[in-house]
Amino acid sequence: MPITHEGLAREFEFVSSPGERKHISEAIDGTAPIMQEMAYELIVGNNTEVDRLTQEALANGFTANQLLDDGLLNGMAIVGVKFRDNLIFVPEVLVAARAMKAGMAHIEPILSASGAKPAGTVIMGTVKGDLHDIGKNLCIMMLRGAGFVVHDIGVDSSPDDFIDAAEEHSAEVVGMSALLTTTMPNMGRTIAAFEDMGLRDEVRIMVGGAPVTQDFADEMGADAYGDNAVDAVDKAKELVLLLAELKSS
Amino acid sequence: MSPVIEKMTSRERVMAALAGEPVDRPPVCTPTNVATVELMDLVDAPFPDANRDGEMNARLAATAYTELGFDTIAPYFSIIQESSALGCDMQWEQKDNWPTVRMSNPIWKSSSDVKIPSGFLEHPDAKAITDSIRILKQEFGDEVAVVGKTMGPWTLAYHVFGVEPFLLGTVDDPTETMKSLEALKEITILYGQAQIDAGADVLTVPDHATGDLVSGEYYRRFLMEMHQEIEEELSVPLILHICGATVDRMPYIAETGMAAFHFDSKNDPVEAMEAVGGKIRLVGNINNPTTLYSRGPEEVRAEVNAALDAGVQLIAPECAIPLKTKLENLLEIPSAIEDWVAERGLN
Repeated sequence: MPITHEGLAREFEFVSSPGERKHISEAIDGTAPIMQEMAYELIVGNNTEVDRLTQEALANGFTANQLLDDGLLNGMAIVGVKFRDNLIFVPEVLVAARAMKAGMAHIEPILSASGAKPAGTVIMGTVKGDLHDIGKNLCIMMLRGAGFVVHDIGVDSSPDDFIDAAEEHSAEVVGMSALLTTTMPNMGRTIAAFEDMGLRDEVRIMVGGAPVTQDFADEMGADAYGDNAVDAVDKAKELVLLLAELKSS
Repeated sequence: MSPVIEKMTSRERVMAALAGEPVDRPPVCTPTNVATVELMDLVDAPFPDANRDGEMNARLAATAYTELGFDTIAPYFSIIQESSALGCDMQWEQKDNWPTVRMSNPIWKSSSDVKIPSGFLEHPDAKAITDSIRILKQEFGDEVAVVGKTMGPWTLAYHVFGVEPFLLGTVDDPTETMKSLEALKEITILYGQAQIDAGADVLTVPDHATGDLVSGEYYRRFLMEMHQEIEEELSVPLILHICGATVDRMPYIAETGMAAFHFDSKNDPVEAMEAVGGKIRLVGNINNPTTLYSRGPEEVRAEVNAALDAGVQLIAPECAIPLKTKLENLLEIPSAIEDWVAERGLN
């Protein structure tokens, strides 16, 4: 039995795909009891406990990377699976995200000061005319947790806002979010603006948001579609590699 | 649908379909709206002004019937009129973008803050719609169904509390959430009644407890009874509108007593019909961003046929359409229905 924490073991049972069970159990296997407790408290959205456990673990000599990988991200991996499988919905994800933020508040300054090479640079924003930001913010939190430098340009972002930010920060990936069927076409307009400026080959563009589909992403000319925040991280990793290959060839 | 029904007016057709009675053909409905930039230019009634001026609003709304051949006219284009009248921070946008509420600057924090301002119904942004309904009723009388719209308490809560604080509150303090929804429900009823008094034949009640955000169980727990109460209070047929995946909550929605449910293209029409079990009519569910916006009439026709084949009683775009949607795609909807009926010799 790789998972010793009773609550976390129960939560792990929600992971049904054999591949994911193997991947997540290997990540949790052998982690310290306090990390498993932290993962569990994150899943159930107990931000006070995550805050306390993070401080306690740091005081006991665990590294910031251990806390992130063994505690918070293992918890978020199960949250991501439950969300994707419609076992939980946005309110439950929001309380888990709030708990993750409570932990990250202690961890992020240490990671930033360590000078580790980021996984990539990403610009994230919600498209013009759309003021929804929950999905975008969840993606940003997960991307940062996975080691990306993320520049959040906020909601109601015009094509120029995306282009200016991508140029200013030499971003590899641009992520666009939309929650409204009425604003989704602005994703296509933003991609067209990158083309018009001759910058389309400089970045890879991913899109997401509740009404967005793979078909729509293809139709708009996006490079990737993220079905949820966990998927967005995987797609961002793939896009960074793809861009590096394109630029080296 | 009975094979021998005399030709109906648009209004008769819509009212019959909503009542579950026989119709000469399935109606084309606009529970949300079909305003486009092209139509704004045609009648010189651009956004954002057409949302805020009754006369201009009526001119644009009427095009659904006069230009597109739909069986309804829906003058409330957006989802923000009440929220503006309540004092929310608004972004009115330009001609080619929808007006919206800046939900990151919520006006209220708890149920005790919920107060209907005196003169709410006289606020220009609330009155624009009731004025428009009066104009439309005078002009079109019994010819076409005028569909008003009053926001449900869940959608109002997003606007006045902010989406994230409101959804977090549903976990942290569900009792407080219920109190807020109870208080906001009074706004739904007040504005709905004002539109009925102005002459609305039907009301859409958008209440975005969508499967993209919350579970079907949430709908049952927080909203099902509240929607039953709204249905009891408002005397015209109500069309509940919820975007996104909703099949999991359709059995609960079917118990509200509302006349119809306006559903999204994320739901298969056959599954949707099975989920409601004949207890509520369905309106929908032509895809907006891909089919109506990006594709052509052929794809629109295929979706209309799929909905009709499944037994969907009123055909409509799934939600408010992108403002640059091509008119030829919208015109294809009534045309496809006519052909579907003719091919089956139904009238």
